[in-house]
Amino acid sequence: MTKVKIVFNQTLMISTAILFGIGIQWWIEYMSGGSGTVVWYWYSPFEIIFTGFMGAVPTVLICDWKGRGLGKMRLGIRLFLHFICLGAMVSFCGYLFKWYGGWKEYLPIAVMYVLIYGFVWAVTRWLTKSDAKKINEVLKEIQDQE
Amino acid sequence: MKVNVIQVNSAVEEKADICAVKITEEIQSAIELLEDNRRSIPCADGSETVMCRTETIYYVESVDKRTYVYTKDKCYETKYRLYELEKILKFHYFRCSKAMIVNIRKIKSVKAEMNGRMTAELLNGEQIVISRYYVKELKRKLGLMI
Repeated sequence: MTKVKIVFNQTLMISTAILFGIGIQWWIEYMSGGSGTVVWYWYSPFEIIFTGFMGAVPTVLICDWKGRGLGKMRLGIRLFLHFICLGAMVSFCGYLFKWYGGWKEYLPIAVMYVLIYGFVWAVTRWLTKSDAKKINEVLKEIQDQE
Repeated sequence: MKVNVIQVNSAVEEKADICAVKITEEIQSAIELLEDNRRSIPCADGSETVMCRTETIYYVESVDKRTYVYTKDKCYETKYRLYELEKILKFHYFRCSKAMIVNIRKIKSVKAEMNGRMTAELLNGEQIVISRYYVKELKRKLGLMI
């Protein structure tokens, strides 16, 4: 059940990130004098959700977030693998659905991917740290004196 | 309900009298909460059976279908299963991973890890891992989550 939940959450997160990327790309185009118009077919939303789902698979396979187990080194390796596999999955789906035709069109997508991945990672880290700070404040008040 | 608090000079004199028309769920919770510190768990210390007071327990761990109770500097085995102890020790304890229940009052501080989980340092210097899934449970117990 936990894995199903992870896949569902990741699908939503990656789909949102793709939509955010598309939005930013077209906003940049609009700001630099372009039309800023997106051609949106009936199947476009399904393509995005499918890509989100495919991107969730590496998360389940690579990221063992449960329990103890992973040291910093192994965690770093897994994270790097996750970054590569997720990028590969998005690139593959992008190629399959003809989101880009050549390197020139692929490059902004790749840059956007790196930026979004970094941003999500940084926000998650910041949220966890802020949670730890709040928890420590409450713990100080209730902990036993030894 | 009117609550009177009278300061006494020693722990032996500490007592709580509850005058109620009916033992409601809230009153039962209050009774269990007040009795929690006086409860003991039968544990095995080698061939001897000792009564381990719940307020001295740091954490309880299940390893290979056996349950171990850890105090500041001792480890005992108990016949209780982890889920049974989770029911008995429900007030100041919380499940921090699939195989462990920890006494919140014995946590010195928590530290955020890279993958969303947390490491908790206990008052005796030991470190335990709080899985990402159970961080929510800790926040709920501490009143940081509605």
